[in-house]
Amino acid sequence: MILEIGIIILVLILVIVLLVFLSYYNKIIRLENRIDNSWAQIDVQLKRRADLIPNLMETVKGYMTHEREVLENVTKARSAVMSADTPQKNIEADNMLSGALKSLFAVAENYPDLKANQNFLNLQDELTHTEDKIAYSRQHYNDSVLSFNNTIETFPGVIFAKRMGKTEREMLQIPEADKELPKVKF
Amino acid sequence: MAKQMLLEDHIRKNKQNTVVICTFMALLFLSVVFSFGYIYFRNPYIALIFGVPIALVYIALTYSFSVQTVLSAAKARPANPRVREEKLLIYKAEEIAIAAGLPPPKVYVQDSEYINAFATGKKPENSVICVTTGALQKLKTDELEGVISHEMSHIQNHDILIATVTLAVVGSIALIAEILFYSFLWGGAGRSRGRNDGNAILIVIAIILVILAPIFSRLTYLAISRKREYLADANGARLSRNPEGLAKALEKIKNDIPSEKPKGSKTVAPLYIANPFKGQSVSSIWSTHPPLDERIKRLRSM
Repeated sequence: MILEIGIIILVLILVIVLLVFLSYYNKIIRLENRIDNSWAQIDVQLKRRADLIPNLMETVKGYMTHEREVLENVTKARSAVMSADTPQKNIEADNMLSGALKSLFAVAENYPDLKANQNFLNLQDELTHTEDKIAYSRQHYNDSVLSFNNTIETFPGVIFAKRMGKTEREMLQIPEADKELPKVKF
Repeated sequence: MAKQMLLEDHIRKNKQNTVVICTFMALLFLSVVFSFGYIYFRNPYIALIFGVPIALVYIALTYSFSVQTVLSAAKARPANPRVREEKLLIYKAEEIAIAAGLPPPKVYVQDSEYINAFATGKKPENSVICVTTGALQKLKTDELEGVISHEMSHIQNHDILIATVTLAVVGSIALIAEILFYSFLWGGAGRSRGRNDGNAILIVIAIILVILAPIFSRLTYLAISRKREYLADANGARLSRNPEGLAKALEKIKNDIPSEKPKGSKTVAPLYIANPFKGQSVSSIWSTHPPLDERIKRLRSM
């Protein structure tokens, strides 16, 4: 009698452990996928920004004829981003590009003709929107990494994570300059 | 990081409170159904066969038509990308959706002087956000961001589903109570059966339960609604990383006294970021939203 009860209890415990393991397994996989997905999302936005810039250059060229340096900075920064081969260079070049764009838009304030150009206004809105999306994508990436790290470092996730070979992921260090992204004024 | 912890605590606390209140609601529903069964059939469990399907059908119906119902009640129209303000609204909604890890919601606009917004949708991947033209005109960028983040949080937390289910349970309880009431009116059920005193006491208890349940369930629903509002505030602050934005928006709402009457029916009031129908000073257990001052205070303490 006692033996039978003991066996039943043991089986129940095993079933519960298995269920807990399954749910954490799924959760860990899901959180990891979210990290990879958000990383890809950042790339999509970066590419979008790079694509918009030639159009912007064409539009402002005719108006900002005396601002060679500002315009060149943008073009140089864009090339730097496209040719960056390490993550560190990528972040630095990206930082440079954000700064160069900010300068361009600041200088554009002095050209009322340019500011009346609908094409320019649309591009400005879109580029600012893309910069915001980049910032939020990075934020989401870091949030995803935090969720993942929390799950694999706290109990009981930590037990399953070790068996699954999952280790802590690193967050993105968001450069200081990025934090003051040009926000759209209503 | 320390600031983040405080936010996370807010979020966790509100979620726990919701679980407690929802459990209470479920128990209330079950006790009403059991009472019905006891009064009518001397067997509580029989009524479960009727009570649960009633609630499920109610839920399924209201949920299926929730989006159309809400949008037409509010007289909302899709945002027009050719109007710069509305184009920028669409942009902002897309950005906050990225922060939340969700696909961009459909964006609607309500022509109204009031500063307000609501969210609806069957699931987070297929959702709608609506903002008033008053909000677009009167709010600055960071304040609008706060409002959109609040609404996105409602979507992310499945608050629309929770509100629909809870309201349906409230409706079912009221329906069952009404059926019982009318059945008593037309010929006392069970009064002629059984002269046992013990049973009579139980019947009285059951009757009291059925009378009070609709009131209690409504109060419970309102308590849930308020908790979810606090949660949406906290989660929204996490999404925008800027609690002050929403705090300032709420302050503007508090001091805003438009000349026109509020649009939309009272039933959609709980979905709004602030209740447009009640005076701001009146906030009690009968409110769907917590008092604005308390919300502002909590946001500023994050």
